[in-house]
Formats: sequence, structure tokens, C-alpha cells
Amino acid sequence: MASSLDSEVWTEKYRPKKFEEMVGQEEIIKRVRSLTNSLNIPHLLFAGPAGTGKSTLALIVVKQLFGDSWRDNYLELNASDERGIDVIRQKVKDFARTRAIGNVPFKVIFLDEADALTREAQQALRRTMENYTSTCRFILSCNYSSKILDPIQSRAVIFRFQLLEKKDIKKRIDIITQNEGLTITGDAFDSLYESSEGDCRRVINLIQATASISPNLTSDLVNTLVSKAKPSDIKIVLDYALSGDFINSKEKLLEIMLKESISGQDVIKAIQKEIWNLPIDNSLKVKLTERTGEIEFRLVEGSDEFIQLESLIAGFVMAGQGTA
Amino acid sequence: MINKENIPWVEKYRVRSFSDVSGQDLAIEKVKLFLRTFPKKRSIIFHGPSGIGKTSLAYAVALENDSEILELNASDLRDKKKISEIIGPASRQKSLFKKDKIILVDEVDGVSAVKDRGGLAELIVLIEKSAFPIIITANDIWQKKFNLIRKKSEVVALKEVDYKVILGVLKKICEKENCFVSNEVLTSISIKARGDIRAALNDLQILSKMDSPEMIKEIGERNKEKSIFTALQYVFKNSKIDSEMVRVFDDIDMSIDEIFLWIEENIPLEYKGEEMFRAFEALALADVYRGRIRRQRHYRFMVYEYFLLGAGVAGVKKYNRAGWTSYKKPSRILKIWLSNQRALKKKSICSKYARHCHISTKQAMKDFLLIKIILNSKLVRRDLKLNEEEIAYLDKPIIL
Repeated sequence: MASSLDSEVWTEKYRPKKFEEMVGQEEIIKRVRSLTNSLNIPHLLFAGPAGTGKSTLALIVVKQLFGDSWRDNYLELNASDERGIDVIRQKVKDFARTRAIGNVPFKVIFLDEADALTREAQQALRRTMENYTSTCRFILSCNYSSKILDPIQSRAVIFRFQLLEKKDIKKRIDIITQNEGLTITGDAFDSLYESSEGDCRRVINLIQATASISPNLTSDLVNTLVSKAKPSDIKIVLDYALSGDFINSKEKLLEIMLKESISGQDVIKAIQKEIWNLPIDNSLKVKLTERTGEIEFRLVEGSDEFIQLESLIAGFVMAGQGTA
Repeated sequence: MINKENIPWVEKYRVRSFSDVSGQDLAIEKVKLFLRTFPKKRSIIFHGPSGIGKTSLAYAVALENDSEILELNASDLRDKKKISEIIGPASRQKSLFKKDKIILVDEVDGVSAVKDRGGLAELIVLIEKSAFPIIITANDIWQKKFNLIRKKSEVVALKEVDYKVILGVLKKICEKENCFVSNEVLTSISIKARGDIRAALNDLQILSKMDSPEMIKEIGERNKEKSIFTALQYVFKNSKIDSEMVRVFDDIDMSIDEIFLWIEENIPLEYKGEEMFRAFEALALADVYRGRIRRQRHYRFMVYEYFLLGAGVAGVKKYNRAGWTSYKKPSRILKIWLSNQRALKKKSICSKYARHCHISTKQAMKDFLLIKIILNSKLVRRDLKLNEEEIAYLDKPIIL
């Protein structure tokens, strides 16, 4: 792994390296910091939205614990990429087999996006956590703690991360703009914040992308970038459906999902936001929103994305004809 | 020397005679008539969507008549010297000894009426004087700028090629190339091409270079299809729910997941409006049960899964359906698979980025549109240790 000190990717270059550099989440940082200082952490579960500092905090913890030898004592796995629990178990085993280097008696495994694990994988993980508890501590991160099995939750101390506030994000942005010699207007900052919905990583990505065009960040420039980085318009899918053209609607949907690797859940979020702007009767909008909610629930449960979305679109075809 | 392996199949298998031209019988008749009555009209226009064989047909005409092709493309039309080189000999008497010629003006849509002022006028001069037949190809000949040319020419519309014809062509090529691709995959390619033979050939060539389980020819394929087609007929044509309907998928030698795909693909072919909506509702609910069975090992739910998939989808109509519907094979899986193949480079880039930035590859894929802009920087590329191929992909991404 490249040293993050000299990284050219700003999300790494400006990733906080000490507790005091982090913004927001004050309570959490205070508690995690005192746990870390005692040189004995329990298993930790970080839950919360993307870009709020979960991975950053995990990295700071291990750096504080292990100092310069942190790389030898730390394993990072991403559950959404390494789905097979066998892979995880094998890696965990290999890693945990050797003793920790230095004066801390355990190593740390950071399992990111742990809510992507299936129930069975989580069951297996629970056993693994128990078996290696003397040599290994786990830090798990997830968006929704409800998707983590109770027995795992009960073995870990849970910290719930909140969306970052505007003023917190501003602090990070100020550091970046100063350091990189950028200027940013107030509007531009507002646009950045709005389009990133409190996700600090996205904000920094947007800044770097915008700065690659001009060092003077204006809201126009930011908005251009945002629209450039926006997935194709889901509205086209709905327009086809409302006009009664189911086949084209579904083809377009498939195209968007494949070409831009967008998940069904993101598609449905976009659909839900779009419904109220559609040129149909308000009572139909209520019906469609109701249905959208049901379909989103099914997707969260793990149903087939395409089949569920197609059935939703078929509902829009009906709405286009004035019924639902 | 050109390595034979690298010739695009589209070139390698260009037609050599009329009998090689697939799915354009009517057009061939018209061309024959045009040649017999030449010079009643001196030019013939082939028009139609891309990839259906316009240029191929022109070459077939030349080969059938033992003529040489003189090809003019859109940019030549602006070049007076080139034109006169053609018109010069062309306007003279035909030689008894020399080989006959056919002038091919390919993709005339490319000539702009404004920017290439004079180009189209040159073409009209050429049409008026030529001693040789002129073949013009175009996607859209109904634009105003072509009015005069259209009037002076025989106009032949080429049809989109039926998927069955494309399938036949693909099968022949597979035989010649000695590659085994399952019937199912070939059919999906043919359907997906939507009449565009060129697209289908390109897809096939890409596929043939990959090792994958999909490439293995499935034995007993035909029987399998027969029974799913029978089941689809039963579900989609009958409105009565009887014990037969409840067991309709029992004897099909096909996984339930595959049956889902078949139903999914064909609902919109048979149902419209409210019926379609209700049918999808039943299918989606069957899918919910499928998920519950999978997650909770609650096999009892299979009763509901199968019931909704058969009787549920059948029961949305009030009366029996008459007529015959040609049901399609599921195309979704192939599309996903093809797009995944093409996305491999993107994925390798994203995985490097993800490792560097402590996020999942999936997340990086999701943010790719934004990340791509950041990856424009040479420094960032070096930081992530992107290889040449990955950089080439970033500079010129393949379009799905």
C-alpha cells in the first residue's frame, strides 16, 4: 500500500492522521481515544453513513496502538469485495497465527462494509471472532447496524456515526484549499455540500476533480462537474414507462445499471426522488411512492434487482394510462 | 503481413456472392433488375440502418458481375481531381477488353450540404454522365439534401435482418472458426443485435476469444428448450388455473432461476397494460419467496414460489389467448456477462484505487464517473501504478 503521506489522491492526502484532526463525531472520538490510550480495545463496531470517518478512525486507532509497526499488525478486508467467508477466514487465520509485534498483545483486523456479509458468513465470523479473541481485535464498519447479527453486535462496542455537519466539512475544505492554493466561493461550497449529502469523501473527490479544471472553484464549475459525474438520468426510464413503452424503459434501465455499475437500491432512490415531479395525478404519485417503498424494502432484503424494478416500472406504465 | 487471427470477422466473412447475402432477398431482386435495365437509371441507393449489409451487398453485386469496384467515400466527393479521374474514363465508351466497373459511393450521409458545398453537386454530375452503374449507400436517404439524387436513382430499402437469419450466419462462422458457442448464447447475441449483423459478428468474435463456461456446448439443449416453450405457451395462453397449471414447471429440466428469467423476458411480449403489471407483480412476489427460501432455508415456501410463477402469471388474464407468440430467450444474463467482460479494465482500475483509498472496489465502481476525472492526472495515475492498458482504457473508454 502506498504511504498516504505523499498520496496524490486527496482523499488519502488529507485523511486525518490523528484523533485531533478529525472533524465532527466528538463524543465517539473522545471515547475511542481513551480506549486506545489504555492499549486494550474491545471489538468495535462503527455504524453510520458513508464518508463520515469510520475508516479514518479505524486507521488512526491502529496507528496510535502500533506506532511505526502498524502495517505488520493490521489487516484490512472489505466484505463487499471479499464476500466468501472462507476467504476471510483463511486470511484471518493466516494473519492471526503469528504474534503481534511490539508491546500490544493483539493485532487488529478492520472489516469494512461488514453489512455486506450474508447471515451465514456472519455466523462464521462470530465464531472466528471468539476463537481468535486473544490475538486479534476486530473493528467492523457498516452503514446499517441492523444488518449485523445480534450476537456480533453484542460482542462489540457500537459507535453510531452521524452525518457531518456543514461547519465540520468546511474545516476540512479550508485546509485543502489553503494547502493546494485554491480559492472557493461561498456558493461553490454550498453546491459541494448539497451534492455530497454530508459525505466528506465525496466532497474531497469533487474538489479534486474541480480543481483539475481550475484552481478557482465557483459554483458553476462545481455544478458542471457534479452533473458530469451524475449517472444517466433515471427520468428517461420513467418517461418511456409513462408513455407506455415498457420494452424501451426496461432496456434503458438495464443499460444504466450495467454501464455505470449502479445498484438497484441507488436506482430506486433516484426513482423515488423523481416521482413527485412526474406529470401525473397526485393520487397516482402516492400509490407509486407506496409501491416504490415496498420494492425498496424487497431489494434491501436481497430480492432480484431486475425483476423487482421491472415490476415497479410496469406500475409506471399503468400510471401513464391514468390508473394504478 | 497481416496476421490472419487479427482480421475482424466482419471483414473476413464479407459476402462473396448473392447467395452469401443474408436476409435481403427483395433487395437482391431489385439490384438484378437495375443492372439489366442499366442505363435507364444510372444509380441505385441502398439505405437502411447500420450493419445490415449495405456495403456487403454492393461488393456482392460487383463480384457477381465480375466487375471492379471503384470506391468513393464522402471525403473524395469534395476532391475534384479524384472525381474527374473517375468521371474521365467513366464517361467514355466502355472498353471491350477491360473489366467492367461499379462505382460505390459509400455512406453518402457523411457529405454535409453546407460544409462540403459542391460534393453532392459533383455526385449528381457523376450520376448523369457515368457509363458504369453507381451504387450509393446511406443510413437516411430522406433528408432534404438528397432530394435530387433520390429522384435520379433507384431507391432500395434494406431490411433489418431477422434474428434467425443472423443466428444462421453465426452458426456457419462458428463451424468455420472451429469454436463452440452454445445455441443459447448464439441466439442471445442474434436477438441483441437487433438486425445489425455487423454488431452480432463483433460480439461473437469477442466472445470466442474468452474462455468461459458459457462457451461449452450444452448437449440436449434442444429438448430443454422445447419443454420451456411448451410451458410458456401454457402459462401465457390459458386463463384457467387447473392442476396442470400448478405443476406446469415440474417436468422441465431447468433450474428455477432460469425459469424466472424466461418468464421475466416474455411477460412484456404477451401482456400489455394492467395484465403486464399484474403478471410482474406475481413474478416479483415469487422472487420474494425465492429470496426467503434462500436466506432462511425455508423450503416450504417453494409451493408459493412455483404457484406464483405459473398460476400467478397465468391468472392475470380473463380469457384464453389465441394465436402464436414467438417467445424469446432470456437476454439479461448475456448482457450482464458481456458488459462485465468489457468492464474488466474498469474493475482493475477501481480495485487499485479502492485499495489505495481504503474503500471497496464496488464503491469505487459506483463513483467511477467522478474518480475518472481525478484519474486524468498523471501523478495520480503513477501513484496508483496503473498499467498501460488501464491508462489506455481511461483515455479511450470502450462504449457498451
